[in-house]
Amino acid sequence: MAGLELLSDQGYRVDGRRAGELRKIQARMGVFAQADGSAYIEQGNTKALAVVYGPHEIRGSRSRALPDRALVNCQYSSATFSTGERKRRAHGDRKSCEMGLQLRQTFEAAILTQLHPRSQIDIYVQVLQADGGTYAACVNAATLAVLDAGIPMRDFVCACSAGFVDGTALADLSHVEEAAGGPQLALALLPASGQIALLEMDARLHEDHLEWVLEAAAQAARDVHTLLDRVVRQHVREASILLGD
Amino acid sequence: MLQKREKVLLLRTFRGRTLRIVREHYLRACVPCHSPLCALPAACSHDGKLLSSDVTHYVIPDWKVVQDYLEILEFPELKGIIFMQTACQAVQHQRGRRQYNRLRSLLKDTRHDCILFANEFQEQCYLPREKGEAVEKWQTRSIYNAAVWYYHHCGDRMPIVMVTEDAEAIEQYGSETQGVFVISFKDYLDNFWPDLSAAHELCESILQSRRARESESQESHGREYAEHLPLEVLEAGIRLGRYVQGTLNVNKYRAQIEAFVRLQGASSKDSGLASDILIHGMKARNRAIHGDVVVVELLPKGEWKGRTGALCDNDSEDKASSEAPSEPMPTGRVVGILQKNWRDYVVTFPSKEEVQSQGKNAQKILVTPWDYRIPKIRISTQQAEALQDFRVIVHIDSWESTSLYPNGHFVRVLGRIGDLEGEIATILVENSISVTPFSEAQLCETPVNTPEKPWQVSAEEERRRRDLRRTHLVFSIDPKGCEDVDDALSVRTLSNGDLELGVHIADVTHFVASNSYIDVKARTRATTYYLADRRYDMLPSVLSADLCSLLGGVDRYAVSVMWQLDKTSYEIKTVWYGRTIIRSAYKLCYEAAQELLDRNFGIVDEIPELKNLDEKSKQARLEELAGAIERLTDIARHVRAKRNRCGALELEGVEVRVQLDDKNNIHDLIPKQPLEVHETVAECMILANHWVAKKIWESFPHQALLRQHPPPHQEFFAELRKCAAAKGFTIDTRSNKALADSLDKAEDPTDPMVNRLLRSMATQAMSNALYFSSGSCAEEEFHHYGLALGKYTHFTSPIRRYSDIIVHRLLMAAIAKDEKMELKENLLSNKDLEELCRHINNRNRAAQHAQKQSTELFQCMYFKDKDPETEERCIADGIIYSIRTNGVLVFIPRFGIKGAAYLKNKDCLVMACGRDSCLEWKPGSLQRFQDRIISTTTGGESVTLHLFDHVTVRISVQASRCHSDTIRLELVSNKPHKDPNSELSQPSPLLLKSDLVREVTRCAEEAQLAQEVVAHAIPEEEYLEYRQTKGRSLYMLLEEIRDLALLDVSGDCGM
Repeated sequence: MAGLELLSDQGYRVDGRRAGELRKIQARMGVFAQADGSAYIEQGNTKALAVVYGPHEIRGSRSRALPDRALVNCQYSSATFSTGERKRRAHGDRKSCEMGLQLRQTFEAAILTQLHPRSQIDIYVQVLQADGGTYAACVNAATLAVLDAGIPMRDFVCACSAGFVDGTALADLSHVEEAAGGPQLALALLPASGQIALLEMDARLHEDHLEWVLEAAAQAARDVHTLLDRVVRQHVREASILLGD
Repeated sequence: MLQKREKVLLLRTFRGRTLRIVREHYLRACVPCHSPLCALPAACSHDGKLLSSDVTHYVIPDWKVVQDYLEILEFPELKGIIFMQTACQAVQHQRGRRQYNRLRSLLKDTRHDCILFANEFQEQCYLPREKGEAVEKWQTRSIYNAAVWYYHHCGDRMPIVMVTEDAEAIEQYGSETQGVFVISFKDYLDNFWPDLSAAHELCESILQSRRARESESQESHGREYAEHLPLEVLEAGIRLGRYVQGTLNVNKYRAQIEAFVRLQGASSKDSGLASDILIHGMKARNRAIHGDVVVVELLPKGEWKGRTGALCDNDSEDKASSEAPSEPMPTGRVVGILQKNWRDYVVTFPSKEEVQSQGKNAQKILVTPWDYRIPKIRISTQQAEALQDFRVIVHIDSWESTSLYPNGHFVRVLGRIGDLEGEIATILVENSISVTPFSEAQLCETPVNTPEKPWQVSAEEERRRRDLRRTHLVFSIDPKGCEDVDDALSVRTLSNGDLELGVHIADVTHFVASNSYIDVKARTRATTYYLADRRYDMLPSVLSADLCSLLGGVDRYAVSVMWQLDKTSYEIKTVWYGRTIIRSAYKLCYEAAQELLDRNFGIVDEIPELKNLDEKSKQARLEELAGAIERLTDIARHVRAKRNRCGALELEGVEVRVQLDDKNNIHDLIPKQPLEVHETVAECMILANHWVAKKIWESFPHQALLRQHPPPHQEFFAELRKCAAAKGFTIDTRSNKALADSLDKAEDPTDPMVNRLLRSMATQAMSNALYFSSGSCAEEEFHHYGLALGKYTHFTSPIRRYSDIIVHRLLMAAIAKDEKMELKENLLSNKDLEELCRHINNRNRAAQHAQKQSTELFQCMYFKDKDPETEERCIADGIIYSIRTNGVLVFIPRFGIKGAAYLKNKDCLVMACGRDSCLEWKPGSLQRFQDRIISTTTGGESVTLHLFDHVTVRISVQASRCHSDTIRLELVSNKPHKDPNSELSQPSPLLLKSDLVREVTRCAEEAQLAQEVVAHAIPEEEYLEYRQTKGRSLYMLLEEIRDLALLDVSGDCGM
């Protein structure tokens, strides 16, 4: 098993994808009736659920209210059964907090918060199964949920990860590829404008290669956008049929 | 569109729990099939190699066949091989990385007609494993299914033969699909390749060894070795620091007992171990073979052992060393092997008598490898008797814990023992050097240059290149009789008074396109191999000796570097790189150039270019040429002085002299006095190399091929300092400059040898210079210690070094980049380049070893027929350069031989002074000190030998059947040897190497004729001279010498 070959000489990855190919994405919007917005996404075997409440009044201490824009509150959690080995995580552990913070940054950049001053938007994301690219799945699920809630946004936020193996940039890493320990880059993109909402990278990567990896991640994010857009349109079509339009 | 499937894997974790892992598996409709018969070439989008279209059938080996018979599948005669991904993965998982890499390189090799079909990613080929189905069955089923699909995919036009070792599969699938045949590998060979006898033999021997192994595992008697730990345990152990990982190095002189593990990478830092780890005995070595990457567990301190300081032969097996070993060092035992570096080994069958003594099991025979460091190998064969007198290649298959020796199988015969050709072939195989002649396809790529059809400069090239034919006086300086002139020089004054210095290098890359057949071949060889009596060129001779060689008076393509220098200060103002056309005006030899430099025009007749001129113009031409050489020398002096100021090691200039002297007796290449012209030429080359290195590094900071020479470790200088102290010198090794200065001072006026030996010890202590890719390490590490340059590369000898070819391509790409032109060829990425560098370094080392071993071979053959008691030549003067507990190491300047001489023999007798200061064996004892050794007899007489003492030794040859013969030295007297005719022939008692080689070859040929053995008639002129430049750059020589010195290092580390 020593040194799993992540990219074969023929250009195939461990699971049979080529370097730039995404895993299969399936998504649904409006999975819960009582929330303002909700969505479920599967990216390969990574499954995530996102729920959005708001905008509503500030809960808890009023002092947190922002005079000019809405407060975005993100909470991330992952199910005990999400990873291969069952592991119970304390609520609010370091990893969840960090992920929550990243999601918050991402969505503060995307939601038009200034439209709802002194109010609050809650985004709850739960990962049901983790198989690589959890951040990306969370962002994509949350985007759909925010759209479902009808909160105005600048654009979709589409996220995807990318890695770098043997001189080639790989899009949308699976767990096996992540575990190999190479550099990993997570990118959240506003596809229409091409603006970057969040960029994060682990491990060292040579400056020269950054451009390729970034381009691979951006292309993957644009592909994700195409798919999410299709999901949203489908959802709207179904909803309008239900309404008897 | 991709289809998603899921694979469920059950893995057992480190703690023994079962882990359920779900992995995705994507299937696609279009997987490249690499067949010219493909029905949908557009969809399959082939890139890379295709199967050839002139085969009668495709053959698909089953996973088991790929694992066991890969060597046979590597035969170039077998064509149209489709490796299924399933089979390749089975190799990867079950046979480890080495075999897998072998398979990968086979697939990459454009000369082999085989491809990989990614069947597991094809939607119709993929079969999920069924519940309860054995992995092996599933693999066979998948491969068969893919074979059927492939057959239909090619429009049922090409019959497919699936070869398998699984009898059930043959029965089950044999007649299931028409056009897809399932047969066993043996049947396949018998039916399709009845004439390929080499493959049949190999197959037979593999089968036999496997049968033997199976029957043995059934017997399963007591364990000889501890089991290796599973890989996860090893990896976890390394991470926790319990175990350390490193490469196993067996001591050549005590192969049975001592081996050392050189630590690798991070583990050395963590464990805080400075030195290597000693592995004492075969049990502790636990089936690891020299070169393997092993995992070692350290023993408790109480069980640590020291390395023995005594000299010893290999034949005394486990002689309990009576003398106290040196201080204990970290000792460990091997608990697992991470990577097996098994290659093909040259072995010798035991002679008849020995076979009988081996007794009961005549089928299994223990053969002795040529390399001392490899344990005996057990093979099963019935041909033992027939192969007795031959050197034979075997391959190790396995080494079970129940078996004392590894199991192997016979591969092929090399040649007779003691026969020159056979022994040379042995040396080549042992260094993994392949010297197959250039093939038809490769030669087809070279341009022709015959009297009927002379090669000409093409008009197109003329337009593209800068033409220096009329404007510049270009000339080359090389050793006499050299054919491959790869560099030429020019110097001229520009209109503004500045000087223009030009270095012109043969444009090999113009003729050798990237990835052409010649290129592939040259890359595999990586360098021209020089053996004592022959050489194996990297490029075909039409290129190396003709079209690429910058001969005098003909037009040649070149790559030039031209500097504009300030007229007075010689500061470099600008530099120009580019392709040119030159016509070398003079092809000078070093001696002639030196004469010109000294304004000694008497040698005019030696310059053929001036023959047919009248006296006046002759004089004018000579004046012009001498002026150019003078200016060059002036510039070179200046550049060198500048480099010295930066702390360049003055070592090499002198060192070369030393080393040439060292070898002078054997290699009579260059006269004793190194000429200044040598340095001039070398300096120009170093300058060119340096500037090219800078240029390619600036253009391609992460994928330039450079050469580094890391600074040496101070600990390695300890012995040098001690030795120098014995003579009262101090050596300062803190910087390269300090070292060079102090070495200059350490000169014993009475004995020039002392300085030579000190210098060779200094070179020994240094590390090797290596090629590397600039993307792989930090800029500070680029430094070249010996030359004191920040960046260095090899650019000036593309005819005989592959690295230079790569550098040429990089330079061309850099120029194209500057001119904003499209890059014509893809440059190697950092990773590929790194791999290539490793390969080239590796090959260079092999080339040096092979050269050294072949020289030793000739030395031994030379002394073999001489009777040491009577022959005058066998007595020689030696100088002691190292003291051991039971003997001394002696260097014999006359023959350039280094070796051990014993003061204490196996019967524990010591050397004592007899009549006329002759030494003889008497009972007594030895006492060893730092700088001297005292031998005292029971009678009370004593003899003291000091470091650097001159002694007289007798040279004899110790013949060995299984290994190479070795030179044996015996002390005759503790006084310097007086040659009766030394007064007369002091300058030339030197036995010229070419003479030696000639004599040995003649003897060998005569012997062969006598035996009426068909000998390959070797053209006599082959032996006369190399006819090729050998290490013109001083640095290159330094490297070679370093390796000569290595001979002793490998010995020293065990002593």
